[in-house]
Formats: sequence, structure tokens, C-alpha cells
Amino acid sequence: MTTWLEIAVLLCLGYLLLTNLTYVALVVIAFVENGVRRHEHASQDFDLLGESRFTIPVSVIVAAYDEETAIISTVESLLGLEYPEFEVIAVNDGSGDGTLERLVEAFGLEPYHVFVRHVFPTEVVRAIYRSATYPNLVVVDKENGGKSDALNAGLNVARYRYVCGVDADTVFDREALLVGMRRVVEDPARIVGVTSHLTIAEDPARAMAAPEGRRPIDRRPFMAYQHLDYLRAFFNNRLAWSRLGFMLCAVGAFQIWRRDVLEEVGGYSRRFTCEDIELTFRVHEKFLRERREYEIHCLPDNVGTTEGPDTVRKLVSQRERWQRVINETVWHYRNMWFRRRYGSVGLLGTPFYLLTEVLAPVFEALGIVTFAFAVALGLFDVSVFVLMLCAIAFLNAALTSCAIFLDDMQSRTYRLRDLVRMLALAPLDLVLYRPVIVWARLKGTWRFLRGDKAWHKFERNVRTA
Amino acid sequence: MPIPRSRDVPRLRDDDDGRVDELVLLVALAVLAFSVPVWLAVSLAIVVGRLRYERSRRRSSSSTLGEREATRLVRRAAGRPRTEWGRWRRVTALQRLEQAHHPAVPRLVRRVLDDRDPKIAAAAIRTLGDVGDDWAIELLIDALRRGHGQHSRVASELERLAPAPGVKLLALLRDWNPTVRFWGATLLRPYPDLGEATLIDLTWDTDANVRAAAVETLGTRSGPAVGAALLARLDDSEWFVRVHAARAAGHVLGADAAPTITRHLAEERWWVRTAAKDALRGMGAEAVPSLLSVLAHEDPFARNGAAEVLQDIGFVDFLALDNPRSPLLQRIYDAGGERFREAAEARIERIPDEDMQAA
Repeated sequence: MTTWLEIAVLLCLGYLLLTNLTYVALVVIAFVENGVRRHEHASQDFDLLGESRFTIPVSVIVAAYDEETAIISTVESLLGLEYPEFEVIAVNDGSGDGTLERLVEAFGLEPYHVFVRHVFPTEVVRAIYRSATYPNLVVVDKENGGKSDALNAGLNVARYRYVCGVDADTVFDREALLVGMRRVVEDPARIVGVTSHLTIAEDPARAMAAPEGRRPIDRRPFMAYQHLDYLRAFFNNRLAWSRLGFMLCAVGAFQIWRRDVLEEVGGYSRRFTCEDIELTFRVHEKFLRERREYEIHCLPDNVGTTEGPDTVRKLVSQRERWQRVINETVWHYRNMWFRRRYGSVGLLGTPFYLLTEVLAPVFEALGIVTFAFAVALGLFDVSVFVLMLCAIAFLNAALTSCAIFLDDMQSRTYRLRDLVRMLALAPLDLVLYRPVIVWARLKGTWRFLRGDKAWHKFERNVRTA
Repeated sequence: MPIPRSRDVPRLRDDDDGRVDELVLLVALAVLAFSVPVWLAVSLAIVVGRLRYERSRRRSSSSTLGEREATRLVRRAAGRPRTEWGRWRRVTALQRLEQAHHPAVPRLVRRVLDDRDPKIAAAAIRTLGDVGDDWAIELLIDALRRGHGQHSRVASELERLAPAPGVKLLALLRDWNPTVRFWGATLLRPYPDLGEATLIDLTWDTDANVRAAAVETLGTRSGPAVGAALLARLDDSEWFVRVHAARAAGHVLGADAAPTITRHLAEERWWVRTAAKDALRGMGAEAVPSLLSVLAHEDPFARNGAAEVLQDIGFVDFLALDNPRSPLLQRIYDAGGERFREAAEARIERIPDEDMQAA
């Protein structure tokens, strides 16, 4: 038994070192990418971009299912975007609550019949509404078909060459589209997709209302840890992936795509639990298989704040879904693993996902069990175990502090005391937050193995009026 | 304090004594030795960086440069760094010099414009836009000709400049390069008195993009010659030229173009149909006779499109309120289909009684 235990300990140790060395390498690359993007941002004239008639028009599509508490602030923030020409298409995906009624009331909507293209098959569209007050707002009311189906319905209605899919629980910065599209206008022929950094809050509308440079972090450590988790995902990972040419997840909360590319790949797929990561994989797969030039980027600019689950139960529900869709997607695109034909996506991106996302829950669970057994059976002492925990905790903290550093250099958005609080919270992540994520990931893996593809939507947070 | 070792406690097995726990201990210590200093150093850098940033923000921003700093910046802006990072530092130096109105800026900006990295060239273009003198206009037009930086960026800067480049753009219309002709035609839009004859000639250009740009610019003008040129382009072989022609003809000719544009409701291309609908919508009530004439068209796109435009300009609601049993309304409903009728009825139902009576 001890031999097996020793082998398990060594395996976990090897996994720990390999993943963290990868993370450290990615952080170094992320620093380079962040520096370049920061200079680029500083050299941009956003006022000019916001007024120029040569800025490319965009259709913003927001899919909403039972979002009566969040939808108004989201659509208001979208209508307030500073961009020369854009339309907002809100798709009510057969909500059972008052989402449609709230929209009709808030924006003075009237039903109009619009003859649209049926490029993407969707569930039946019941009605299309327009607003006399906001001529660039269109609301599509359709039978429930899931988020992908709702986004496809929005694509059928969209008028412009670029589309931006967003989440209904996210409040956007006024410059969000300018920030995203500034990258596209540099090379529209090559850049087919762009995503950007989003923050998280219990009440996004309230967080976004804070003045620049004084944006608060939620007081509850539970929310602050989610915020740190987002920072690490965007700054340490996605920026580096972007630099290395394998940006494998254009996040659902803000994803700009060239419309013809979506038409080529068949739009958003209903076969997967979530739509964003799978679509990104599909675009990579198609372009690389056909040896076409393209780029998908993640930017460090904060374009908005999305609602984070405010209870452990909701968080587990969200993260187990993320784990499921990662497993579904990575498994579906297994033909890309370690294949030279797929360039950095095949040789770096998919192995990275396999190592740090798909296998992570297995090794995390194995690590907890084997180390506990090892201590119980006297393979090594409790103090060595504690020392190892401290080492992992501070390694996490070092990586998190790098993400905070990258974000602060880019945005200068937080108050100093919030920065200090985040830095102080970082080493305790392993004890206070990570166990919940490990549990959620295990649950997600189990459900993936059982073939569960339901969304398991969690209740929205209660928001202050 | 020495760290207790597992060999001090009872073990299940005595061979290979302590090899794994020594390894775990070694790894833990190595990781700690790396991560704790990194965490502390980065945390310190964040706090110090933020304090310095706050302090520099509080200081009044001055555009004057000291002699030493100016020399350093000129050297940096004139250099040819190989790294991407270095090239951005070069751009930053150039922008700082421009803010301080340094005399070396014209010379330096020419060199930065030649950078092979289009992003760096774009930053130089922005600097030129900020300068806005005659020499900057010349350089921007030259950049357009030579393809330095993104064309759309150069065009945006040229449009916001004062003094306006106006007459200097005319030469672009006769350039050998179709891309330059395209941008020349596009940029003439704010100058209604310039280059009309040449623009009309360009609606017959061999390059479809040039034809589209000429048509779009002519759409902001008026006169029979312009109208005739636009109507001719409604039958262009390229769909995107037809798109621009439909919108432009609707704007220039108004109701006179309605019968021709209405034909395009039956176009195979969705974009052309949409442009035709937009143009007809823009004409308002004047488009009604033409639209009514296609309600029984054999092509469903034409029938649907006509019904949709009649709905959007308020004609359907007017008829439904005025005479709900009108045969004309019935014809429009037939052209639009069942859901079209339902939407119209739902709109009418929402109108309050007092408004209904007033109508």
C-alpha cells in the first residue's frame, strides 16, 4: 500500500510542478503582451474612433432567459455605448418570468413584423419588437431553445458585418465596443474574433457606477476570491494565449466575431452545454485545417462587470457547468491534440487545457486523498504536509499578485486599500476558496461522464434598487 | 526550529526510509523560497507603483521638456529598435515630443511612418492628426498613397483636421491605384462643391470598390446628372455597389427613384433588399404608390418587403385605425402574412382609447 501511496504522491508532485511551471511561463508572456497592449491603448485616440464614420458598425446580441432582475441595466448600458453605429438585439429566449414585459415597459416597445434571413435554424420567433425612443434597439421574442439558439436568432436579425455576443447579467463600460473594435479595425481581414477582460461583482450596475479609479471590490471575501479568479484567468492565461496564438475561449459575456466567420462555421452550436468555448475551438479548427490566416485576441482592457454568484451553491452550479463544457469541448476536438497541423493550438493550447482543466479535478482529488493518507500512515509528517500546503498557497498567491499587478498597470481602477486587501487575501485562497472550486470541478467531471448537458441556471442575486 | 521528520514517527515500512518525504520537503522548501519573495516583491511593486501613479497624477501635467529629457526623447524617437517593446517606447517618445511642440517632430514623424509595423505607423498617423498643420496634411495624403499604416486610420485623421484638406484630395481621384482612388472618393464626402464630374466618371471605374465609394459620396449631393449616374448603378454587376446606389438614389432623387428602387425588393441579395427598404422608408408617404404596386408581386421577397416598409412608415396602422375593413389593408395583410397581421393588431390594441378617438 505504501508503495502505491508513494507513487501517487510523486504523481501529484509532478503534476503540481508541471502545471505551475506552465503558469509561471504564461505569466512572463502575459507581462510582455500586457505591456504592448498598454502602449497601444495609450497611443489610441478613442474620441476619434468614437466619431469616425470609418469605424465598423456592430450588432450587439444579448440572449436573455429569466433575467428580469438584470436585463434592464444590461440593455441600458448597451444603449449607452459610445460607438458611431451599432444596434442592440435583445433576444428573450422564452423566459418564464417577466423579462419581456420589463423590456416592453422600460423601452416603450411595439411589435413589428420584420422579414429576416433564416441563415441559422432556430426555435420559432414569436414576435419582434422595436422602440420609438431607441431606434437601434430590437427585441426578439422566441420559444425557448437555449442560449446558443437565442444567439443564432439574434444573428438572423443582425444587420451588420460584426456581431458582439454578450451576457444578460453584465453591465458594460461606455467604451467597451471601441476597445474591442479598435483591435479589429487594425486588420479586419485577419482578426476574426476579439474578447476582453471582465470583472465580477455581486451587483454589476452598482460596481460600474463607481467613479474611475475608485471601483470597489465586494467586501465579502467569497466575492473577492471570484474576482481574483477572473483576474488570473484573463491576465495570466488569456493574455499569454493571445500572444502565443491559441486564444481558446472568447468569453460569452463579451465576444466580437466577424459575421461571415460565424456563418461559415454554422453559428452557435446547441450540442454543447455552453456556446463560447466550443465556438472558439470550432473557428480555430476550421481555419487551421484549411490553412487560412486568422487571429483571435483577448485584450486586457476591462469592458464590463458581470454578476458573480453570491452563494456557494450558485458558484458550484456555475463552475460545474464550466467544467462540463470544457470537458465536452476538449474531448470533442481531440483530433487537434498534439497535432502539428494545428500549430500552437494543437501543440500548446489543447495540451494546456488537458493538463490544467480536464485533468485538474482528478489530480486535485488524488492529491487531497493521498496526502491525507500519507500523513495518516506516517509516510511523512504533518509538518511536511503543512509546509507543502503553505508552499502551494504562496505559489498561488504569487501568481495572483502578478495578475493584480497586470490589471493595475492597465487600468488603475481600484482603490489602494482594495489592492492591499486583494494581495492579503491571495495566500488564503487555497483554504477559503479553492476547495469549493475543486468540488465543483469534480461534480462537473462526473456529470460530463454521465452525459448531462443541462444548463442548471442559478438564481440571480438580489439587487438593490 | 528544525522541522520534524517522518522518520521520528512510527512507519509502516522501514525500507527506502524517508525518500519521498525528503523529496516533498525539498519541493515545498524550493517552492516557498521562490513564491514568498515573488509574492512580497510584486505586492510591494503594486503598492509603490500605485502611490507613484497617484503622486504623478496630482502634479500638474506640464508640456515643457527639459533639454536633457528632450535630447533623450529625440534619440529614442529617431532610433530603430528591434523589439516590439522598443518600438512602442519610440512611439511614446514621439508623442511626448509632439505634446511639447518640439521642432524635431516633422523629421521624426516621417521616419516613424516608414516603420514596417503598421501599428507603429498608425501611432505616427495619430501624431500627425494632433499636429494638424499643412505639412501634416501632406504627409497624411502621402501615407494614403504609399499605403503606410491603415487607410481607415489615415482617413479618420484627415477628416478631423483643421485646416480641411479639401482641394488636396482631388489628385487622389486620378491615381493609378484603385485603393487610393477609393479613399479619394470617400474623403470628398464633406466637400459638396468639389470634384462632382470626376466622381460621376468614377461611377464607371473598373474597380467595384471605387464605384461604390463614388456612389456613396454622390449620395450626399443633388442634381440631375448625379441622379442619373446613381440610377445607372442600381444595375451594377456587384451587389455592394447596388446597395450603395439604392441608398444614394433614394436620398438624391426621393420619390422619383421609388419605382426603380422598389424593383430591388425582389433582389436575390439580402443586403440589396435591406438597402432598398431603407431607402423607401426614408421617402415616407411618397413611396406608398410604388409599394402598393408590388403587393401582388410574384416574388415573396418583394411582397414581404413592401408590406414591411408600409408597416414601418405607419401606413398600415393608419389604415387599420381609419378603416379596418379596407380592401387595401387586406391586400397588405395578405402580402405580409399572418404574423404580420397579428403584429399590426397587437400595436393597434395598445393604443389608448382616447388616442384612438383623436386619430
